[in-house]
Amino acid sequence: MALLEYALVGGILYGVFFSLVGIGLNLVFGVMRMINLAHGQFIMLGGFGAYLLSSHLGLNPVFGIPLAVAGGIVIGWPLYYAVVPRLQRSNDPEMLSFILFFGIAQVIEAVTLLVFGADQHSLPDSALGSGNIGVLGQDFPDSWWVAVAVSVLCIGGLYLYLSSTRLGFATRAIMADRDEARTTGIDVDRVAAIAFVIGLSLAGIAGVFVPYMVGSVSPSIGGGLTTTSFAIIIIGSLGNPLGTVVGGLVFGIGTMLMQTYYASWSNLVPYALLLVIVLIRPSGLLGKAVRSA
Amino acid sequence: MRNATGGTRYAVAVLATLAVAFVALPQVYGNQSVLFTMMTYMALAQGLNLVYGFTGYLPFGYVGFFGTGAYACSILVTFTGLPVLLCVIGGGLAALLIGLILGPLLRLSGAYFSIANLAASQIIYYVVSNEALKPLTGGPYGIKIDQVFAPTASYAAMLVVLLLTTALAAYFRLSRFGLGLRAMHQNPISAAVAGVNIVRARLVVWLVSATVAGLIGGVYAWNLSVFYPDAVFTLEISVFAIVFALFGGVGTVIGPLLGAGLLYTFYAAIGVSTPQYFQLLYGSLIVFLVLFLPNGLVSLLVRRKLHVL
Amino acid sequence: MRKFLKHAWTACAAGAVASGLALSGGAAQAANAPSVLTIGTLYASSGPFAVASKGQFEGLQYWADTVNKDGGTYVKAFKKKIPVKIIAYDDQSSTATATTLYNQLITQDQVNILIADFGSVLTSVGIPLAAEHKMLLIDPTGSGANFFTKKTDYLADVSIPSSTVWPLTLGHFLLGQKIQRIAIIYDSNDFDASQAETLKATLEKGGVKPVYYHGVPTSESNYTVLLHTIAAQNPDAVIEFGYAPNDIAFLRNLSSSGLHFKMTFTIFPGQLLDLMTKNVGAKALAYTYTYPTPPLVQTQKVTYGPNTAAFVEQFKAAKNAEPNFLDVAGYNTGLVVQDMLETAPAFTQLSFHQALMDMSGKTTTLLGDFKINENGAQLGELFSVGQLVPSGNGNKMVVVYPKEKATGTAVYPAPAQ
Repeated sequence: MALLEYALVGGILYGVFFSLVGIGLNLVFGVMRMINLAHGQFIMLGGFGAYLLSSHLGLNPVFGIPLAVAGGIVIGWPLYYAVVPRLQRSNDPEMLSFILFFGIAQVIEAVTLLVFGADQHSLPDSALGSGNIGVLGQDFPDSWWVAVAVSVLCIGGLYLYLSSTRLGFATRAIMADRDEARTTGIDVDRVAAIAFVIGLSLAGIAGVFVPYMVGSVSPSIGGGLTTTSFAIIIIGSLGNPLGTVVGGLVFGIGTMLMQTYYASWSNLVPYALLLVIVLIRPSGLLGKAVRSA
Repeated sequence: MRNATGGTRYAVAVLATLAVAFVALPQVYGNQSVLFTMMTYMALAQGLNLVYGFTGYLPFGYVGFFGTGAYACSILVTFTGLPVLLCVIGGGLAALLIGLILGPLLRLSGAYFSIANLAASQIIYYVVSNEALKPLTGGPYGIKIDQVFAPTASYAAMLVVLLLTTALAAYFRLSRFGLGLRAMHQNPISAAVAGVNIVRARLVVWLVSATVAGLIGGVYAWNLSVFYPDAVFTLEISVFAIVFALFGGVGTVIGPLLGAGLLYTFYAAIGVSTPQYFQLLYGSLIVFLVLFLPNGLVSLLVRRKLHVL
Repeated sequence: MRKFLKHAWTACAAGAVASGLALSGGAAQAANAPSVLTIGTLYASSGPFAVASKGQFEGLQYWADTVNKDGGTYVKAFKKKIPVKIIAYDDQSSTATATTLYNQLITQDQVNILIADFGSVLTSVGIPLAAEHKMLLIDPTGSGANFFTKKTDYLADVSIPSSTVWPLTLGHFLLGQKIQRIAIIYDSNDFDASQAETLKATLEKGGVKPVYYHGVPTSESNYTVLLHTIAAQNPDAVIEFGYAPNDIAFLRNLSSSGLHFKMTFTIFPGQLLDLMTKNVGAKALAYTYTYPTPPLVQTQKVTYGPNTAAFVEQFKAAKNAEPNFLDVAGYNTGLVVQDMLETAPAFTQLSFHQALMDMSGKTTTLLGDFKINENGAQLGELFSVGQLVPSGNGNKMVVVYPKEKATGTAVYPAPAQ
């Protein structure tokens, strides 16, 4: 019984964090209709940012959060204007952007590898508190709680942004119909560029906590994070950022339960869930996807 | 419309060039593994082109069929002792079966399809590599069929599969069936009105493409003869096939061959001398191509009004 | 189309010419002494095996540098010293790339001696290729049990025991300590699973049945839940068999979970202590048991090459860094090749293999006794059991079993932190 409770509580914590991991990818897809295949590599960059701050400047890794936001702006803004408008004019933006971002992912991974080497790097446990906090008699490390708190803040912040700011309204209008949004006078590129920056920043922030939740950060973890993020956002529903939380929770609890009872099958969880949900309810838990013909 | 005999002649010329080239190359260049892998990627890019180029469905998880073929072939070799060529065909049939099971995915639209297909390939991978299946697949400990190891024979077999795949692409490109496919890709609703059975045509293409990948996987396993699950299920295989096909130009016959041939040569050349910069160069090249040459190399030929098959 | 072929052709031809130029040693069977001995090998600069692979490669290179400083290595077949040259390619931890590169070494570079990359996975694809081309594959650290199932002249595991024999001493230690409740968690791969199986068999022979015995995927990076599942069985000893990233995640999760076991064992603190300390922290590593490997344990008396202490001195002076186990393994591979060339009467692959078989049982290097069987498996160089004990800011290795090698006694149960 204690095991079940542990798996459930752990799954919720893990799932909330993984919502943060996936949410940036989903926001970018929702607004730009483009698959950011470099998503996991941006997360990885966030992890390395925190590592640099902590190992070279002796700062607490949480300062990786503002660094991730700064990185999101510095990389995201020029990148958006350099590639996206051009791709939107092409005949198959969705697929071409997929390949473009694959190229970007390769570049990021290669550069990180040249700079940091292939080793795994981790962050000091004590930085986020070395104790444990219990819920229902189940103890989890402090660092998990910090990661979850930050995830909740970020996701809540994104929700407020989308639901109650002018830019957020414009963003949602673009998600619903890009062309119509343009005709109503919205500066689509500016709003979408901001969304892209937010998406990358959220990825970077998630990256700060990856060394705690996953164990360590190394240049090669990006690809796996991208695939897991895909699974999570498609369980939730592609293009709907808040559905990601549902996806994250399903993923987190599913993974923890499998780890507890059928450990060797646990890495099947995100993919099996994804396939089942897509086939039973092609729209994801919230949304639409069947093509018209 | 182009006249059919001219097209057929062009197709025969492409097939003959391929055959002659890959028969002759080992005489001047002894690293057969490089040539074999080049053919593998040419065939995979072409097989993926069948479904992506002619229906617009991008199978992210194409590697799933490849891996299925590799494992089905190896399991047949291990447990039945059938001639290895029959085992390779068994690999193709196993992939066909998986294609049938995944048929319902074709109901989904663009990105959903790609990602669901990716998930499917990962599921096959995790099942094949699970420890519980050790007696059958060898699980994570890999599988060994070195009793049939035959580099030259498997090289020849891969050439045959490459020619077969290319012939299929030429058929799709030139036949009425292919015309219907393209009409449906460009405008599914009016194609349906015009009497093209969209659902069936799409399924046929999907199954053909899956079978081809299974055959390629079977021959690849035969050539490698000792491998671990990740060697035939790594997503890199899907991604390379997609990038190679797009680099050359999808929806054509020579595009994927060109793309795979050139990029793989580049890969092999850099991979041997300065691998640490390979990933960087390769990634930058892809970004550049997408931005400045989105329809692939063949679009350069088309721009010069050259006839492209 | 034609244009493309021309392209591919030129590129391939250029590649062939380039590698032809690199070929300075000549064919392996050449009757005349080559001016340089070519040794072909692979390493991984990226991917999951990079850390270990680079260590091994560095050790091998260090060996080549040392012999070249003396004018080369003595080759009995030609009765003279010949300098060695290492031709190495980067397989980036990919078996597909490794396949083409092994082939490159054999067919294009026609190296005299072929040495595998680190570990079972990257070694596996080289085995049939080497056999096909009748080359002896010198296998430093590919210890997967299924490689050594039949007699062969073309495979020799030289720097690491076959993984099935690794946990024999560990098993005897556990039985000797009368520890009854033992949990074993392992990654599903050759290296770890064959150890888990051996350990389980050893324990069961001694009448102890593990209370927990489970495989997890090699990609496992989060042990938090698993640790709680294990703790639910109330084990006294928890044995985790993984690769370095798994061990790091396992130990970190253990220390942050607040759980405590009387004994915890993992493999890599004994091989990559610096990496583990950096990632897990000295405090969390304290009292962990492991297989101590050279240079953490020393072989004093050797029949060939420097002993462990002498090697550490030389290496530190030359490289300005402490060697780890993989540096030693790579260096030892070079030493074994050197001894082999000094004793093989003919310059052929079969003669090389015979020389290794003749050395078996009579040779001791800095890694310990060299004992190889006809299937190519290494049965010597056995590991002992060690425990990391706090000392200053870090930990020091205390060998606790077997008795004849012990430098201290085990702190059991481990004190709670």
